[in-house]
Amino acid sequence: MTTTTFPRALSLRVRPILGLASAAAGAVALYLALVWAPPDAVQGDVQRVMYVHVPAAWLAYLAFLVVFLASIAWLWSRSAVADAVAVASAEIGVMFTGLAIVLGSIWAKPTWGVWWTWEPRLITTAIMFAMYVGYLLLRSLEADPERRATRAAVVGIVAVVNVPIVHLSVTWMNALHQLPTVLRPGPPAIDARMLTTLIVCVIAGTVLYAYLMAERVRLELGRGTAA
Amino acid sequence: MRRALLVAERELRAERAQPDGLFAALGLTLVLVFLESLLFGPSVAREPAVAAGLTWIALAFAAMLATTRSFDRELEDDAIDAILALPGGRDALYAGKVLALTGLLGIVAFAGVLLTVVLLDLDVTLPLHLALVTALGTVAVPPLVTLYVALSLRLRARALVVPVLVLPVLLPQLAAATAGTAAAISGDATGALGWSGLLVATALVSGVTGLTIGPVAIE
Repeated sequence: MTTTTFPRALSLRVRPILGLASAAAGAVALYLALVWAPPDAVQGDVQRVMYVHVPAAWLAYLAFLVVFLASIAWLWSRSAVADAVAVASAEIGVMFTGLAIVLGSIWAKPTWGVWWTWEPRLITTAIMFAMYVGYLLLRSLEADPERRATRAAVVGIVAVVNVPIVHLSVTWMNALHQLPTVLRPGPPAIDARMLTTLIVCVIAGTVLYAYLMAERVRLELGRGTAA
Repeated sequence: MRRALLVAERELRAERAQPDGLFAALGLTLVLVFLESLLFGPSVAREPAVAAGLTWIALAFAAMLATTRSFDRELEDDAIDAILALPGGRDALYAGKVLALTGLLGIVAFAGVLLTVVLLDLDVTLPLHLALVTALGTVAVPPLVTLYVALSLRLRARALVVPVLVLPVLLPQLAAATAGTAAAISGDATGALGWSGLLVATALVSGVTGLTIGPVAIE
């Protein structure tokens, strides 16, 4: 027997605020990324892809970390909210991983000369994408809600190991991909205005993630109630 | 631990009486080695990295095949329900299956590597290093394969979902085993030992993870 203790009244108040905050933060981020931030000295305007590519990758990491924590919470408490958070975050994480791959590919063509190549960051990201597609596939094949949640929780716990592998892969092997610029020992290796823009874009993306999560969790819990 | 050993012993006895899992795993490895030499031609097929990579991919599939067959056997006579009903039955079943698969995969791995060396006429410079990497790879692969096969038990389309789930998560093991095997074939002792270290680490991490959450996965 699963339990649902999601604060619905709180959710009703928070979701519209999150939606508005997400739209506002997105507009500011777009202005900074397209107008305020200077073009890259070498790559020119192509580098502006970074302001969507990096937040997408960050949100993928965040989403899969949330899947991991929600999976532990499910095994611990058998709370339907934990499972709803896990599936919502996994779907959003897969979407942002796919987005990061596609945007990275678009960025790679003019800078590396190829859409795709053998490269540790690319390969490990693609594998992470496959892992969580597998997670969603597993969920779709089990009808019983409790069994589905338990099986998925086990995968959600194991699969998170790929997040640090993706992030650190460029430091372990010879990589064409840029080394970590912000999340690295020492100060960030980036122009101050570019860094500010990037941080705003990451914040805007995180607010969007929170909004999507609130909506998707509501849908998932509603589906459980309807069933 | 005693129960896990009993499950492993029972598993290996069943395999000895009816070695279909072992033969299927060996057959698959052999076919892939033949296919490799046919598809790539002798010069590319004999490259240490190519030969090692394909051997370990074959062994990963062989491990999935043998484990799936092992759990199918439990389901056929409903023996699994009796084991799961025992106190600590899930832990014993998971650990016993991992031990049995390690033994079985050891046979398949050494046979598979030997077949690759003989059929592709490879000059192995460091045979002891090759044996070490093979043994460690044999220990590093089973915990996660058993975990995912157990997880997919009684699931429709299990044959579809197991490789999709298992192969990506085996990436560190397969990468380390492939690079270590290639290093041993080409005479790079430092490389072979370095990759062996990574195999030990992956074996420990996957073993601890499997023992912690593996029993939960068995339904």
